[in-house]
Amino acid sequence: MENKFPKIVTRRFGMIDPLSIDDFIQHDGFQGFLQAIRKSPAEIREAIKQSGLRGRGGAAFPTGIKMEATATSAPQETKRFVVCNADEGEPGTFKDRYIMEKDPYALIEGMLIAGYAIGSHQGYIYIRGEYLSSITTIRHAINECYKHNWLGKNIQATGFDFNLEVFIGGGSYVCGEELTLLESLEGKRGHPRIKPPYPAQKGLWQKPTLVNNVETLVNLPYILQYGASKFREYGTAESPGTKLLSISGSVEKPGVYEVPFGITFKEALDLAGSLSKGKQIKALLVGGAAGNFIPPSLLDLPITYESLAENKLTLGSGAIMVFEDSVDLHELLQNILHFFKHESCGKCVPCRIGTTLLYEKAKEPLTQENLAWMIEEAKYMARTSLCPLGQSPLIPLQSFERFFNL
Amino acid sequence: MEKVHLYIDGQEIISNKGDNLLHVARKNGFDIPGLCFHPRLTPTGACRLCVVKIKGRPGTVMSCTVNVEDGMEVVAFDEELEAQRRTTLAHILAEIEDSYNDKHIDELQPLIDRYDLRDPSKRPVPSILDKISRQIDTTSPVLQYDSGKCIKCFRCIKACDEIQGKSVLSMAERGISSYVVAGVKNWGTSECDGCGECIQVCPTGAIVEKPYLETIQISKIKQKVQTTCPYCGVGCQIEAWVQDNTIVRIRGVEDKLPNKGRLCVKGRFGYFYTQHEERLTHPLIRKNGKLEKATWNEALDYIAREFNRIKQTYGKKSLAGYGSSKCTNEDNYLFQKFMRLVIGNNNMDNCARLCQSSAVAALMRSLGDGAGTNSIEEYAQTDCLIIVGDNAAETHPVTSTYMKQGKRKGKKLIVIDPKITPLAKYADIVIQPKIGTDVALVNGMLYYIFQENLVNYDFVKNKVEDGEKMLQELRSIAMKYTPEVVKEITGVEPELVRKAAIMYATAPSAIIATGMGISQHTVGTNNAQALINMMIITGQVGKPNSGYSPLRGQNNVQGAGDMGISPTFFPGYIPISNENHRKLLASVWKVPVEEIDATPGLTMLEIIDAAEKGDIKGMYIMGENPVLSDPDQDHTIRALKNLEFLLVQDIFLTETAKLAHVVLPATTLFEKEGTVVSSDRRILRIRQVLTPPGEARPDWKIILDIAERMNKPLGTYHSPEEIFEEIRQVTPIFRGVSYARLEKEELQWPCYDENSPGTPTLYLEKFSTPSGKAKIFPVEFIPQAEQPNEKFPLVMNTGRMLNQYHTATMSRKSPYLNQYGNEPYLLVHPSDAEKYALKTGEIVRVVSPRGSITSKVLISDQVRPGETFMPWHFQESPANKLTRNEKDPLSKIAPFKYSIIRIEKIE
Repeated sequence: MENKFPKIVTRRFGMIDPLSIDDFIQHDGFQGFLQAIRKSPAEIREAIKQSGLRGRGGAAFPTGIKMEATATSAPQETKRFVVCNADEGEPGTFKDRYIMEKDPYALIEGMLIAGYAIGSHQGYIYIRGEYLSSITTIRHAINECYKHNWLGKNIQATGFDFNLEVFIGGGSYVCGEELTLLESLEGKRGHPRIKPPYPAQKGLWQKPTLVNNVETLVNLPYILQYGASKFREYGTAESPGTKLLSISGSVEKPGVYEVPFGITFKEALDLAGSLSKGKQIKALLVGGAAGNFIPPSLLDLPITYESLAENKLTLGSGAIMVFEDSVDLHELLQNILHFFKHESCGKCVPCRIGTTLLYEKAKEPLTQENLAWMIEEAKYMARTSLCPLGQSPLIPLQSFERFFNL
Repeated sequence: MEKVHLYIDGQEIISNKGDNLLHVARKNGFDIPGLCFHPRLTPTGACRLCVVKIKGRPGTVMSCTVNVEDGMEVVAFDEELEAQRRTTLAHILAEIEDSYNDKHIDELQPLIDRYDLRDPSKRPVPSILDKISRQIDTTSPVLQYDSGKCIKCFRCIKACDEIQGKSVLSMAERGISSYVVAGVKNWGTSECDGCGECIQVCPTGAIVEKPYLETIQISKIKQKVQTTCPYCGVGCQIEAWVQDNTIVRIRGVEDKLPNKGRLCVKGRFGYFYTQHEERLTHPLIRKNGKLEKATWNEALDYIAREFNRIKQTYGKKSLAGYGSSKCTNEDNYLFQKFMRLVIGNNNMDNCARLCQSSAVAALMRSLGDGAGTNSIEEYAQTDCLIIVGDNAAETHPVTSTYMKQGKRKGKKLIVIDPKITPLAKYADIVIQPKIGTDVALVNGMLYYIFQENLVNYDFVKNKVEDGEKMLQELRSIAMKYTPEVVKEITGVEPELVRKAAIMYATAPSAIIATGMGISQHTVGTNNAQALINMMIITGQVGKPNSGYSPLRGQNNVQGAGDMGISPTFFPGYIPISNENHRKLLASVWKVPVEEIDATPGLTMLEIIDAAEKGDIKGMYIMGENPVLSDPDQDHTIRALKNLEFLLVQDIFLTETAKLAHVVLPATTLFEKEGTVVSSDRRILRIRQVLTPPGEARPDWKIILDIAERMNKPLGTYHSPEEIFEEIRQVTPIFRGVSYARLEKEELQWPCYDENSPGTPTLYLEKFSTPSGKAKIFPVEFIPQAEQPNEKFPLVMNTGRMLNQYHTATMSRKSPYLNQYGNEPYLLVHPSDAEKYALKTGEIVRVVSPRGSITSKVLISDQVRPGETFMPWHFQESPANKLTRNEKDPLSKIAPFKYSIIRIEKIE
């Protein structure tokens, strides 16, 4: 089915040459930033708060509140940073790559707005090292922006300075966690930091830092250009705007689809086409390895933060992996638990040892008893681990137990 | 410090705001488990054992990551927390080999019992040890690592980084496969220098010392003696573990300054000398040209007879003595008493003469005290540290850790040295002047300080004698040192000099630390003086974290000077001309005042000169090895051979002892009681660890024995403490110090009475000069008398290596230290290597006007073109065969740092 839903993030996809700054400008590029720069930073932050935009990386934290905290913490600090988390490592998630490769200037515009809103003059885009094409595209766009004074000193005679650099990640899942990402960005080993302090208080180089996902930042130009109320015309009251879904697995047309919040999983899956003949959906895995299994019975559930929360589920990064009935779920579970074991950084005991114990147990026959043991272990890990990685295995395990009979 | 009230399990606790919660809880008796936390390291939060609940915070939190706040209500123990701790501990046990071999401190073992996890069947999770590849690294000379015992607590990695500033260790691999790695591959190929800080902090014995690993049994060790490291002047507090009358391990004492647990490779692995088979165990007497075993009785008779004979034949001025900077205060005090009362002159000196005497001379006349102004921890606190001519990372390794910590906190570091030292890579500014051009360089800094108007006029006006006049005098000299002049003399870019001058002068606080590069020159006093002048006019003294500290070399070089082993000073730096003090000494020593000689004696090198000339006929050398440590070895040997009687009292048959007529076996610092004084004027206890071998006797007893045999007993002392009580009576700066106080207090002199807390930083109120003000002595650059020429085109610098010590009498007895370097080398700049067609590793002849030695060549750009460097530890290639016996006019130090040489190929 053709995606006829209104578009915010992907509105220029396919309409412009991603390498051409002129093309971008001709398609309303930088209009959001030029609107923003006429207002005070506090007004921008207010507008973002009004829009109800929530972080698109997975945690869905209200973006405006994060910005406010970053802008106002440690008033004596003269340096603040904007960091774009483009270390898209959650299995089955590939939306940020699309954005960076199809509309790179939009991300830069989003960062300019974020920088202006929090009083920062330096940004970093931390891109997953495997994303060679994204890195090339973004670097090209940054160079063009410097050439045309959309980055650097006194941007377009607005008096606003902003510098932007690309940092290439070294291939570690846990570096997608914001504090670990900052450690890595500082040139250190990718190990999570003790929280608090949060990045808004002490982030990069111990300075207040706004860390946002690519998709989140690319929403900002639209909100600033068209206003918060226009943004709120899409989606629901609690989940305004749109969401990029990365749909993969047993579907005809795997890919990235932008949909307004509020459509159902079924509607979303229809966009990616049907399963091959005679096959049935056995399960969806929503949100990647750290995501929930969702059974076919819940396909009519609307995709909103609130309806998923009501059902004790989460949307995460918006990855939807579709598994047909021939898939061996035990093998899938092993695969997920191997992923966590492989990606655990090893800093804290529960995660380092827990992920290994889980994987070892998953290799045994998948009995109710073993599953219960794994859930107990994962609960312990969730209570005691230092960062979200160790807290994650519980999510797929619990939903697995909840929806599938052994 | 703001105090806060908090409640742990209902108990009210008062603490400093911001203190670490786990630390506070433990201090107050709440034994919360935790293996990754260490009070000297930043919190890691890795082991997850120290969970607590804090009212108002969701779930459980790791107490090691929390700073205490007012009103905080903490639950440290309840069923849920204990259950969680038990589960976590079981997880830790799942990845390691948890059996205990009685060979290391193990913080894990008591926890296994406490949480009833000894029996594997009681553990909630199975072992995964066999699923992990076990990494064992035995490539280090001094330690070994076993990942199968490693709980990945990060203490070792953080200690190497945060405490030692070396950052050699890191985690290899990831997740369950992670293990500790040194460098990029293993300990053996890494930059690890063997300090063992990682061993010190390891909670599970994953990293352990190699020495005695086979024999050590911790449960058998009943004796752990706290004493002071016998090597350098830092004064590290060590704990010696004794098993079967053998030291089997040394650890740093965690909670005491100056080192707070830190040690260097010498402190931790250099103790083998004391139990070495070559120790002297019996007196030796030269008979028919050969040293032969003798009884104490024979030896003492011989000594008394010879000393008395020489005294009667040639007069009392024909005898001289060297005290020892390796011996205790008590030994040295009795030595000077012996020289002054039994021999009856002031012909005595100690190796400070060849070490910091020039800096001390300049400090004394300018500020009033002949010692460093600062306490060791101030190196980490000062805003700007200039370290000049001191390779602290190798010669005062633990002091350098404080310097690196300061740098870590964002403080400024300026390194000035003709040789690029390991500290240079940490520095904000590195200046590499030509050897011996320091006065020009520092006067060049003064030029900029005047030009940029950075003089502290208030300080000069109020705190300097004739301040304004002296400032003008200094200015008129400094303004001659224009950038062009300074560049010509020193070879340093003017911009660097300017930056350094501004950085130093504008810092809120600043310390100058200097070493042998400043002092061991014929212009040593001037070198130090130039720096002192700069310090005075910028007002960087007389306030916390500011001043001038000459880093002292020997473990008790400060104390030997304090005790008056000096041709001009009584104990406590009282001039021998001080009539009142002479009277005081006479009354305490119970002798007529005229028996105490008030005429200055000869300094160290003057004594050797006089011996060569035949004016000195007999010498008493206690714990010194001038054959290797004095300049111009041929001259030293000629002089010593010229003596009618030479008595050497030492622990080994040193190169000097081999020339003696009588050799007496003395004890090491592990075999006697006493005190020493560290570089920062800290009075530290030496405690007996071992019984002396054979018939070896403590030095203080030997001195008493000789005096008695000469019918001039020095008094009755049953213990070093009784000697110390006498020291207090005659040494005002020590008056408030006692053994009893040292048991519980850390005291730095001056400490004038029992109520004084001692003085960590000097001159906070006033200077110790008679006027109470500092004094400026303008100095000019004087070119070296000896200049490179066609025959001797290169300049040789000398110095030390990290793993060897001075004449290597002690350090070379450690097979472990020797693995880090046990042969002489000559550093040659690549351009000179090309010029003389030299290859690294090639053996060459190094020739100076004084003599020639052979050495391996190391090509290195650590030295400037035209300059070379050689360590002076090695008797087989003694660098001091090449150095020259000239003297700084005021301090009589020799220019060990500057000798002209040539390199000859050996066919």
